[in-house]
Amino acid sequence: MEKRITIKIDRIVEETNDIKTFTFKHTLGAKPGQFIMLTDFEGGEKPFSISNCTKEEFSVTVKRIGEFTTRLFQKCEGDYVSIRGAYGSSFFVSKNKVLLVGGGYAVPTFYFFAKVLLEAGADVTLINGARTKIEHVFADRFIELDIKVLNVTDDGSFGEKGTAVDIAQKIISKDKFDFLYASGPELMMKALQNVIKDIDYEFLFERYMKCAIGICGNCTMDPIGLRLCVEGPVLPKKKVELLTEFGKYHRDASGKRHEF
Amino acid sequence: MQKSLKTEFLGRPITSPLVLSAGVMGMAFSGFNISIENGAGIVTSKSLTLEPRMGHKGPVVAEFEGGLLNCMGLCNPGIVDGLTEIDQFKKCSDIPIIASVFATNTIDFLKLTSHVNKSKADFLELNLSCPNVFDEFGIPLAASLEEVHNIVKAVKQISKFPVIAKLSPNVYDIVSIAKAAESAGADALCMINTVGPGMLIDTKMVKPVLFNKFGGLSGSCIKPIALKLIYQTYSAVNIPIIGMGGVTYGEDAIEMLMAGAAVIGVGTAVHYRGIEVFNKINEEIFEFMEENGYKDLNNIPRLEKL
Repeated sequence: MEKRITIKIDRIVEETNDIKTFTFKHTLGAKPGQFIMLTDFEGGEKPFSISNCTKEEFSVTVKRIGEFTTRLFQKCEGDYVSIRGAYGSSFFVSKNKVLLVGGGYAVPTFYFFAKVLLEAGADVTLINGARTKIEHVFADRFIELDIKVLNVTDDGSFGEKGTAVDIAQKIISKDKFDFLYASGPELMMKALQNVIKDIDYEFLFERYMKCAIGICGNCTMDPIGLRLCVEGPVLPKKKVELLTEFGKYHRDASGKRHEF
Repeated sequence: MQKSLKTEFLGRPITSPLVLSAGVMGMAFSGFNISIENGAGIVTSKSLTLEPRMGHKGPVVAEFEGGLLNCMGLCNPGIVDGLTEIDQFKKCSDIPIIASVFATNTIDFLKLTSHVNKSKADFLELNLSCPNVFDEFGIPLAASLEEVHNIVKAVKQISKFPVIAKLSPNVYDIVSIAKAAESAGADALCMINTVGPGMLIDTKMVKPVLFNKFGGLSGSCIKPIALKLIYQTYSAVNIPIIGMGGVTYGEDAIEMLMAGAAVIGVGTAVHYRGIEVFNKINEEIFEFMEENGYKDLNNIPRLEKL
């Protein structure tokens, strides 16, 4: 049984206009790629990837999207929220030369992961992508780490101009990587899958989650019945290749399918 | 001895007596696939309604020792899309599937039945007993002898498939309600739905943990209630019962059979023991049969009726 904990928000950092990092003083013991369920008991409980986790504290980095996150953005340091987890699968920790490809608000989880990779002795390159400069996150955070960073925006307003996939394709053709990880919009990962050829990889997925304990069926992925909250959100290549819904459709809170 | 838990339910051969309960995993066709791959003998869809329902806002589940509260709020993609998922499942599988439907009146139940008639489902379950939509719909239909009788009777007149009535434990006299369903022509009963409802409170924020405040109770702690009600009902009716409520291990399933269940529903245990729970329980039932010298499921004795 995963115990629910109700704790105070220790610190809030505004990353962009609509992305904030919430830090909590609590020993979560999470692994990179895992997520927590967070609620304020005012209506809604949502999954959030963990963007940092130490012995004493952990953080989630949240994009304001709907009613729930809008309310969360109004909270102050010292306000209570309730969390449960950490849930789900985590990234395989390679000791070799790896490439991380991240897009938008899905990038911060790579901050936690990059630190774990460095501890394991991996050689880390990160492509940190966003549509435009004001949506680009964690550039300053990654500078602190001993990794190679390639910042990229679709419109060229920050870093190189292009998509994260363009850059990935370019550097894969020049350099050899042992493992690739991606966290970003599903269509970015789908495009990436088509250019990475024979490199082994893991992708971090997002689906509408409700129970987070593998029973409600809302985040089930076709056709293999993979429960993303339990077997995911990090999926290895051999599972990703089986997913017929990857890059095609996802289900909403009612279970109705929507195309990407 | 050949390992087999083959039996039959309403004239249909099944490979395991374990039924995936309504509401659990039953949203996508692949949720049914993964359940049968892991040993379920029958699967049940989410309770489908005429229109899609997003369900309640979260938290929709709350755990505590011995059980789980849930208030999913009948989320489902609606009867049309829900039956598409069922048909897609049936394209590749012979395993029987129960189309569960929910409505609040006879007319809507009849509309739902007409939809199901056109699908590849095997059985029709009337969810008369969701405990989590009280604010919206009031007291569940399963609380009224007359409502249960009238709805089952009307649906039976047009249903192409055998009709199963899903009953609520949260009534004064479930046996009379079961008899009302039987006399109206129900082919089988499914019991029990979740107990209560109950609630849990977050003591720091002074708020109910579930956003819906109240939620149906499931898991190990409800098994004794389920066994008692199934046994009482088994003693009073002649139609088969899908027995469910807190079944987590093979021993629980055996108790269900002894209490009079024809087949056994598994739901919350998918959380406790993983999606592999069906195979695990199948194995445990089989071990019990071997240890006690029962050749097949039908040899397992039932309690003497009340």
